[in-house]
Amino acid sequence: MTRAATPKLGAYAGLAGVGLLAALVLGRAELAVLAAPFALVLFFGLALAQAPDVRVALEVDRERQVEGEEVNASLEVRTHLPVPRLELLLSLPDGLESEAPNPVLVALDLDERRELEVPLRCAHWGAYLVGRVQARVPDRFGLLAYERAYDLRRPLKVYPRGEALEKLLRPLQTLSFAGSQTTGTRGEGIEFADLRPFAPGDRIRRVNWRATARRGEPWVNETHPERNTDVVIFLDTFAEARSGSGSTLDLAVEAAGALAAHYIRAKDRVGLVGFGGVLNWLTVSGGVTQLYRVLDSLLDAEIFLSYAWKEIEILPRRTLPPHALVVALTPLLDERSVRALLDLRARGFDLAVVEISPVPFVEPGKDELDRLAYRLWLMRRDALRASYLRFGVPVVEWRQGDPLQAALEEVRTFRRHARVTRA
Amino acid sequence: MAATVLRASPGVHRGVLLAVGAPVPVVLLVGLAVRWSAALTGAIVLLGAQQAVRLALGNDVLDEWAPLVGGALLLCAELAWWSIEPRIPAWAQAGLALRRLAFVLLICLLGAAVGAAMLVAAGSSLSGGVPLELVGIVAATGVVAVLAYVARHSP
Repeated sequence: MTRAATPKLGAYAGLAGVGLLAALVLGRAELAVLAAPFALVLFFGLALAQAPDVRVALEVDRERQVEGEEVNASLEVRTHLPVPRLELLLSLPDGLESEAPNPVLVALDLDERRELEVPLRCAHWGAYLVGRVQARVPDRFGLLAYERAYDLRRPLKVYPRGEALEKLLRPLQTLSFAGSQTTGTRGEGIEFADLRPFAPGDRIRRVNWRATARRGEPWVNETHPERNTDVVIFLDTFAEARSGSGSTLDLAVEAAGALAAHYIRAKDRVGLVGFGGVLNWLTVSGGVTQLYRVLDSLLDAEIFLSYAWKEIEILPRRTLPPHALVVALTPLLDERSVRALLDLRARGFDLAVVEISPVPFVEPGKDELDRLAYRLWLMRRDALRASYLRFGVPVVEWRQGDPLQAALEEVRTFRRHARVTRA
Repeated sequence: MAATVLRASPGVHRGVLLAVGAPVPVVLLVGLAVRWSAALTGAIVLLGAQQAVRLALGNDVLDEWAPLVGGALLLCAELAWWSIEPRIPAWAQAGLALRRLAFVLLICLLGAAVGAAMLVAAGSSLSGGVPLELVGIVAATGVVAVLAYVARHSP
């Protein structure tokens, strides 16, 4: 442990020295008597000073948690020498909050071992390293302090808390593997589609006996087959609007997590494209492992300032499989992502844009000129949305606090009534 | 303490003692408010200076209250430094503060006892001379050594 003198040591030394010197100069023994208690504290403080032998260990009860939940960190402190005052600080990154007092003061006796529970609230999603512990042991007289930093870092991944979605966006085209998306075609499935007369080769169990009895000839049920699909979540990380603790990127990550979880649960294959200053992608795949891959990748989502022009061509071809549904989560703040999405639509991708509205994060301004600029900005955003709609791309505005399901319903309604066009 | 000194002093010296002691509460309050240890040191120095002025202006008789004043000065200093320490909550150990208070009182009493022993030694019929001067020089050298130690180990 590193030893350092406290300001008190200097002050007491000064007081004792001034008192003794004044006693010599003025020839008054009482002044030496006044200085004696300070000199006594100095003498005993320095003579009895002993480097403490404090050992700290850290256990975190889990490596993964969901935003808003708690993890328990357990600090084990042990010493072979008595420690009258041990100040322990568990350094926490932004996004984690301690529910217990931190720093905390502990007194340890000879060979004592103590376990301190520090419940941590995961206030914000992210990948964290928890476990930098600062220990400070002032000596009994407060003249010296022994300090040490313990690097006991453990990884902790806090996943965004996704909204429970009931209905997902249905892609226009599905793959040939079994899944949960009902296709528009007829085939083996569960979802009823229509009735038709019996044809040779039809299985008996498909006969609709009521219709057969009513019409006097055998009729069979037709069904829609359930297939899976490829979904690519397109995360715009060029720019964000931030205010206080929230930002459009936070909302986008939460939405992306919720969408990925629900599509993978529906046996679809999900990929991720982080399109911004730094390009990240995950090729489409299914299963729980892919879900964790997507979530881990989302934790690394950051805004990197970049002026380099980027187009959709820079993405590897396999990241955007044909017939994939591309769900874009974007604040529509950067021209590069706006153009890239239009480019995707022009290439025939099934695209839906969820606009993470930056409007709640922007103040209209106080003077007239600011308010005018704000109104112009809002009008430009309306014009931008209109241009997407002209290209047949559903754009829905999603604001902080609104349910994501409502936004998705809006997209579903648009797609139900819109005519599919090929650019 | 400054007020006690004033009250116990003859009227002719009160103006001087008041001039030295009056800033003490202000300096102490400033030190406590802004958690500035130099101001606390200044306040204790002023209290000690007031005592020095009182003794210098007084007669040559040894002041038998000096050990208690010394203990009280130390108590003031300890409590003041305790007050400006960062507030760190104790981990389910309510007795920590009481134990520390008892320790502070103990060292103040011990300091007063040592002061009393010194006063007894000073009041003895021991005549001055080279040995006593040597003790004084050793004490002064010790102070310088402590100051050097502090300078070397300062953070």
